[in-house]
Amino acid sequence: MDRWHSGLTLFFSLLVEAFPFLLLGVIFSSVLLFFVDERQLIRAIPRNPILGAFAGSLIGFIFPVCECGNVPVARRLLVQGAPTSTAIGFLLAAPTVNPIVFWATWTAFRDQPEMVFLRVGFSLAIATIIGWVFSRQKDMRPLLNASVARAMPLPADTTSAGSTETPSLLQSGTFMLGQPGQPQRLDSSLWQAAGVGATPTVLSKGVSERFRLLVENVILELRELGGVLVIGTAIAALVQVAIPRDVVLGLGQSPVTSILVMMALAWIVSICSTVDSFFALSFASTFTTGSLLAFLVFGPMIDLKNIALLTSVFRTRAIIYLFFLAGQLTFVGAFLVNLYLG
Amino acid sequence: MVRQRRRRSLNQPAKQPPTPKFSQRSALTYWLIWLDVLALLVWGIVLLRFWITGRVNVLLHPDYVWLAVMAGIMLVGLAGAKVLQLLGREGRRQTADSRSTAQHFSLLPQGWSSLLLLVVGIFGLFYSPQAFASQVALERGVTETLTMTRSQPQSFRGGTRPEDRSLVDWVRTLNVYPEPDAYEGLPARIEGFVIHPPELAQDYIMLARFVITCCAADVYPVGLPIKITERRAAYPPDTWLRVEGQMVTEDLNGLRQLVVDADELIAIDEPANPYDY
Repeated sequence: MDRWHSGLTLFFSLLVEAFPFLLLGVIFSSVLLFFVDERQLIRAIPRNPILGAFAGSLIGFIFPVCECGNVPVARRLLVQGAPTSTAIGFLLAAPTVNPIVFWATWTAFRDQPEMVFLRVGFSLAIATIIGWVFSRQKDMRPLLNASVARAMPLPADTTSAGSTETPSLLQSGTFMLGQPGQPQRLDSSLWQAAGVGATPTVLSKGVSERFRLLVENVILELRELGGVLVIGTAIAALVQVAIPRDVVLGLGQSPVTSILVMMALAWIVSICSTVDSFFALSFASTFTTGSLLAFLVFGPMIDLKNIALLTSVFRTRAIIYLFFLAGQLTFVGAFLVNLYLG
Repeated sequence: MVRQRRRRSLNQPAKQPPTPKFSQRSALTYWLIWLDVLALLVWGIVLLRFWITGRVNVLLHPDYVWLAVMAGIMLVGLAGAKVLQLLGREGRRQTADSRSTAQHFSLLPQGWSSLLLLVVGIFGLFYSPQAFASQVALERGVTETLTMTRSQPQSFRGGTRPEDRSLVDWVRTLNVYPEPDAYEGLPARIEGFVIHPPELAQDYIMLARFVITCCAADVYPVGLPIKITERRAAYPPDTWLRVEGQMVTEDLNGLRQLVVDADELIAIDEPANPYDY
């Protein structure tokens, strides 16, 4: 019975902690949609894959979102035609490289300011490298969730989505014959329907109309991501209750296993990047510096909770690539810290 | 808007005879929007309820409570705004963005996501989260020597009178200067809940507190052994006690440890905020 209560307390705790940040992320992403012309932002991003990935990694400083909120924004960047490297750079770095997390980490590690800079530096480097790796894939659509792949513009070497020669009814998807002669695609995303890929119709609308669309979009995204969050949180709570923590902690003193353990812990606990530095701090005297860093860098990129969210953007294959690339790079970085700075 | 479309299709049968499938889908979509609204409203109320009933203290560090409260207010506001839209101004909006009624992408089958949120939310309306119990403390490993080097330099107050130190203060003090003999004979008055660690003899209990840093996912227990005169069955696990006595040092399980030699043990209610910081 106690176990059952503990599981539920964990479950609600994670949800109550994550919900405000999810809401914040969804609101930011919707405001981005309806009040900021992302295409201007996207146009300003360098086309060079490495610079593009680096620029994407820094967007978090303008849009502070944690790893619950970055997924909708990254998805939107992709749909709006941002280079893949930029979207991936943003996805991986934004939860860490933003003012809120910077401040929280600084508060937690006041005595070790190098942790703050190492965290930000590693996240930027890893996000840029992975963004660059993914940019080698010319057409990202096979790696993306079907709904995102359909909504995003075609790559430059084919015709643009709007003027494709394929009759609209021959495209895959679900259609509704609402207006005569204008079959409407049922599964097109709202932002696509809201004018993305054509003229910035949304941005030309009045503020009240945009506000109305904003509310609509916030609710739609909250519903989708909220449902997934509930599932992810339930899994995270179950795993936490099922595995005795001292088993995890018992593994943690060597320079190698401590990193692996902290990465696994980051993955299991799924704690929000805005508050994870406090959590990491509680292991500060038993775990190596490198392993704490691994926790702080790897957790916000990929964890149990946000893998579920990531499926709204990527296919499983791409998530596995992301997971292993981020995991390996984090491990190497943290190991070097353990060897030379720890 | 969806309702408008349905209405129009019903009003203009000659121009656009609705197929049964279309109107079914339309009605379904319309009700699914209400399901979304209800799910958000319920979650807003859940967050506010946890705050009003104080149960949020079991879930979050006080520093983050305002986030949950703000989120609760915003969710209720969002649901309210959507209800106003659904009830009031649809007609004028119908043509403005008929395209946006297109179905949003969905990860889960249509309606499942809202239904899941709604069901968990309704459960949250009636469920009161319980603070972690001694079983969790035993599983997580009670540390009397503390892994928290963290906040002591800021929180350690050398001037505090020994009898005013809380359990967590004692553990922090021990952590800064881990020499049990230095505290021998000092008066102690601490509060916490009872744990029966299997490795301690029958005339010892462990008095413990959970320390929270941000949310219940990271609470960890700290505790001190208490020497009692009767058998520990008299103080069942999870009972909250105020213990008054003196600090002594003893060898327990081969470790020289600080132990509270209890003069008086008083049962108290679980504090409104069961965790310490």
